Amino acid sequence: MTESIVLLAFIAALCSTDMTAFGQFMICRPIFCAPLIGFLMGDIGTSLWIGMISEMIWVNEIPMGVAVSVDVSAISILSTFWVCKYFKDSQEAAIWGLILAVPFTYFYREIDVAGRNFNIKLMHWVEKGIQNGKYGRINTGIVASLFFFVLRAFLFYMFAMIVGGWIYEGIYLQFSAFILEGFRKAWYLLPVVGFGMVIYNFRNIKIQFMRK
Amino acid sequence: MFIRAFFIQALWNFERMQNIGFLFILKPFLYKIYLNKDKRKEAFLRHAVFFNTHPYLANIIIAIVVNMEKKIAESGLDEKVLDINIIKNTMTGPLAAIGDSLFWGTLRPLASFVSIFMVVLFAKALNNRFESYSILIPLVFIVFYNIVHLPVRYWFMFMGFKLDKESIVMLSKLEFKILLEMVRYSGVVIIVATLFLYLKIFGFGSNGIFFGTNIYDIFVYSTVLILSVFASGKFGAVFLFYGIILICIIMSYLGI
Repeated sequence: MTESIVLLAFIAALCSTDMTAFGQFMICRPIFCAPLIGFLMGDIGTSLWIGMISEMIWVNEIPMGVAVSVDVSAISILSTFWVCKYFKDSQEAAIWGLILAVPFTYFYREIDVAGRNFNIKLMHWVEKGIQNGKYGRINTGIVASLFFFVLRAFLFYMFAMIVGGWIYEGIYLQFSAFILEGFRKAWYLLPVVGFGMVIYNFRNIKIQFMRK
Repeated sequence: MFIRAFFIQALWNFERMQNIGFLFILKPFLYKIYLNKDKRKEAFLRHAVFFNTHPYLANIIIAIVVNMEKKIAESGLDEKVLDINIIKNTMTGPLAAIGDSLFWGTLRPLASFVSIFMVVLFAKALNNRFESYSILIPLVFIVFYNIVHLPVRYWFMFMGFKLDKESIVMLSKLEFKILLEMVRYSGVVIIVATLFLYLKIFGFGSNGIFFGTNIYDIFVYSTVLILSVFASGKFGAVFLFYGIILICIIMSYLGI
């Protein structure tokens, strides 16, 4: 069990890297990365639930073409981290974590877009190298790009875990009873919304023999 | 080359997308077949152009391109260069569409549904008290997904090497549509089973979350379910997420 922000931010950054930059083994999906962080922090139950909710609600968020989708792994990782660090085993706190994590994820998307724009410069540098017969720049470009990807994700998670944690804890303690009761209801209703979204996603299914 | 293909999107950029990743995969091979420096440079530069497709199915294009480059290097026929560009330009779009719907839109949700089913099942069996061995649930997701994805990725590259351009013909003969529908049908069966299990455990009055009586709880859950199915098409996930939390807070304020 660990609460080391540096270690957890590094693991989170590696999970985010899987989304586009390397492999796509799906370790970036909430159903995997949230329980992983929860397991490391000693609260697997809440993190599994967070992973389940995020996975179903954002089932359509996939990196397709040039679209930069919302990093669902960041939503689940940040909310899991905050709840495990400040209010372990609390369903209400988990929902508050999810609420707060979404704006942070939009911020991360802007960082991601900036990173991809930076990659254009890197790509031109590699291309210039090829024209001059310096093929080693291809490897350097790939390694540099991966390094910057992990670095920016790591710095983002560090920032979000620390600064977001202060905001998270500070505001949560001010909530009145009916808001907390609302969060508790949402804990059970959000998976139902997720089921609805999944059913919508698979609405056009007609098996071939059924058509005939 | 198969291992290098995992890095295809490492230097993804808005201008030429996967071009440097593509070059990174081909680099050792181009070094090997082009001993003449000028020819080698030409080969590198012709693959520095725009390239973007599904990262898994890129393997088949890579394999075909490798075969074609080999022929160019052996025969010295420059007119084959045009063929490479045609293959790359015409195959990327359709392969991206197949990959997106097959892997992102079907296999990944199916693997996650299996894990979600396990979460609900474990919640029932362990009375919502998850122990550390529940880490097996996300591991099932990863194993299930990758046990399909990795061999398919390898097979695409192998098929491209072996069949060359014929692999395109073979690919077009594969009944992707039927396969997709069958897998998606399995996904629906799992998700409907999970939904019923979920409603049985958490939905109907036993937790006192809402009214504590079956009939009203069924009303709340089914209304939310139906509304979310219909609202999913019109509103984004974030809107629905915040919307339902707001509704829950209002319900609590009203004492429901």
